[in-house]
Amino acid sequence: MGRILIVDDTLFMRTLLKNILFSGGHDIVGEAGDGDEAIAKYQELKPDLVTMDVVMPKVNGIEALKGIKSFDPNAKVVMCTAVGQEQMVKLAIKTGAKGYIVKPFQAPKVLEEIKNVLGS
Amino acid sequence: MSELDAYRSLYIAESRENHENIVKNLLVLESEASDEAIAEIFRSAHSLKGMSASMDFKGMERLCHAMEDIFQEIRNGKMAVTHTLMDTLLFASDMMETMLDDIEAGGPGVPEDLDELVDCLKKWIGRKAGDMPEEGADRASSEIGECIAQGDLSTTVEEKQALNRYRITLCMSDQCDNRNLRAMIILQNLEELGRLEKVTPDRSIVEDGEFDGLFTVELASDAGIEAIKTVTSSSDIKEAVVEDQASPASPPAVIRKTAEPTVQKEDEKRPSQRAEKVEKGREVKNIRVDISRLDVMMNLVEDLVINRGRITEIAREHQMKDLDETLNMIGRSVSDLQNLMMNIRMIPLTHIFNRFPRTVRDIANREGKEVEFIIEGGDTELDRSVMDGLNDPLLHLIRNAIDHGIERPEIREAAGKARKGTLRLSARRDRDNVIITIEDDGKGISAEKVKKKAIERGLISEAEAQVLSREETIDFLFRPGFSTAESITDISGRGVGLDVVRTTIESLKGTIKVESTEGEGSRFELLLPPTMAIVTVMMVRINGRRCAIPVHNVVEVASLEQEYIHTIGGHETILLRNEVLPLDRLDDMFGRSDRTDILVVLQHQNRKRSIAVDLIEGQQEVVIKPLSTVVGSCRGVSGVTIPGDGEVVPVLDVNALIKET
Repeated sequence: MGRILIVDDTLFMRTLLKNILFSGGHDIVGEAGDGDEAIAKYQELKPDLVTMDVVMPKVNGIEALKGIKSFDPNAKVVMCTAVGQEQMVKLAIKTGAKGYIVKPFQAPKVLEEIKNVLGS
Repeated sequence: MSELDAYRSLYIAESRENHENIVKNLLVLESEASDEAIAEIFRSAHSLKGMSASMDFKGMERLCHAMEDIFQEIRNGKMAVTHTLMDTLLFASDMMETMLDDIEAGGPGVPEDLDELVDCLKKWIGRKAGDMPEEGADRASSEIGECIAQGDLSTTVEEKQALNRYRITLCMSDQCDNRNLRAMIILQNLEELGRLEKVTPDRSIVEDGEFDGLFTVELASDAGIEAIKTVTSSSDIKEAVVEDQASPASPPAVIRKTAEPTVQKEDEKRPSQRAEKVEKGREVKNIRVDISRLDVMMNLVEDLVINRGRITEIAREHQMKDLDETLNMIGRSVSDLQNLMMNIRMIPLTHIFNRFPRTVRDIANREGKEVEFIIEGGDTELDRSVMDGLNDPLLHLIRNAIDHGIERPEIREAAGKARKGTLRLSARRDRDNVIITIEDDGKGISAEKVKKKAIERGLISEAEAQVLSREETIDFLFRPGFSTAESITDISGRGVGLDVVRTTIESLKGTIKVESTEGEGSRFELLLPPTMAIVTVMMVRINGRRCAIPVHNVVEVASLEQEYIHTIGGHETILLRNEVLPLDRLDDMFGRSDRTDILVVLQHQNRKRSIAVDLIEGQQEVVIKPLSTVVGSCRGVSGVTIPGDGEVVPVLDVNALIKET
């Protein structure tokens, strides 16, 4: 089970994801509402895994991913995307994302993906 | 060796924790000067060293010892954290991880370049630097640079010489959404392991999803086949065939998802049927379950307990008799379930006791001592979470007893004792607690020596030392940075021991005390709760509201006499039997109450405070739920508990309350 940082600009999505992850036995070590905060929280909390929303105000998910990767090349980041953001996901994977989950979240799929990425 | 093998996984798990802690704190140290980080690294290296020694992993023991020495110097201010030093230390922590990997795979964890690294580390301390001139440090750092460079060099040579060539055929699952993205991730992960020589169909085609779900990768990598299997085993892959092309004789490894409804060919079916028959031959009486699953189950049971309380409340509000009856039955089932869960998590202490005889023998041999080691009550059961934390403290106490307690045979004879010292480790259940004692018939603790050392260390003045009672003096042994050992051996006497022991025991919600008679021996007694999930609390009311206080923090309850309350420095205190205790009202948490006439005295690490309460409702065993995930942390409250009636009751965080002042 991992220590997870949740990054999303909406409280709703964060709460939803938090409940799913919590029910899967993971620890939510922190939450961030934008990319800047995500990078800062990552450095502070050193989570095992980050769930990263792509579209966010100020610094977006891809930039935050870059920031986190430059701080920790082994960072495990899972992108949270909506249907139809394929190009964005491709870019994220090229930047070093380890996985992605699609909104609306389905608990089993989310947990499966998190497990895969944590285990890799 | 086989007796130790049983503990390998436990060792690995705990070692990884310590390794992670070292890395984490090294990173902290790199960005800022932090005494806490230094102390953490020192402690982790120390624990890791101790564990490695008991598992007989000499390489790891040496590396940790060297690391610990460095941090001892840093802690004493004799050495500065420089950039080059940090590089070396991070390099050392990388090696540590490699060694742990090797140990986990069944190896001895002694890489070839370990000696070099340990020598590098030792040079930093100047223990070998007696002949080193002024610029010794520079020279050492350049040598370390060389060491690191050599480390790098050796890997590049290795790469050239021994790259494995793999041919990996992957078939994506039919149920996989966006198979191109999944394939991309897998390719990306494989690329991290080595170089992608060839992807068929072409990588861009795979990435655009213009393929039928089947693709082949040729990979040149120094990674083992296991690493590749890990990367390629995912729910999105129906089948992965990994062939090691360097050794075509070895059969290809096939990873297949059985959950996938696929039509199997006739020849594939047969082996699985055969396997089934073999399985049926044996009756399965035990199953192994991952402890984390039990934790999840425990959480669910706790949720159930809480929600039952809530429903009971609702039933009462609406006066639904029928529901009440059903709830009683549910209540019984839930508490049975809870007890069952507790029992499942209980493990007899023999699990950790069993590994000590060897440790005792080894230390006794090395120290030239004769020790009879007696274990009693190994069948006493403890919750696994408590047991996990108990190994290190026990190991430390045992080592201390042999190292500093039991005398050499000739000295014992001269003192009219048997040549052979006795060390007794015993456990027993005492009502709600488990008591573990470690007793030796050695020379006991010399209060004079302790005082002398405490003065030397600047912990107290000579005048203060004069008036210390024997009990208070011995308590200095538990202070950080204190040690009475005159020589440093590789097993104890660094002064991290007893303070770590106490901190660990307290984190397990237990207590430790020591009794010692000079010339006759010492006796350490550990009082532990059998489980951490259930805690006995005292229910009190403050301003009419309920609040739970962990009983292990409560020293006594007295009546609050107004005439003994004095205000000192703007803070209320109370005089209780010639002892002045700070008095807290907790107004900010519960509101001012004018009915407070009971005093509860709280204690944490020998520091006391008192709080005023209205009423004591009694003691109760409760499940404490942490707050963090629901509302974040809240000052003074360590969690909440929900007793049978469904009310949510805050649990007072006594440790924080006492530390705050």
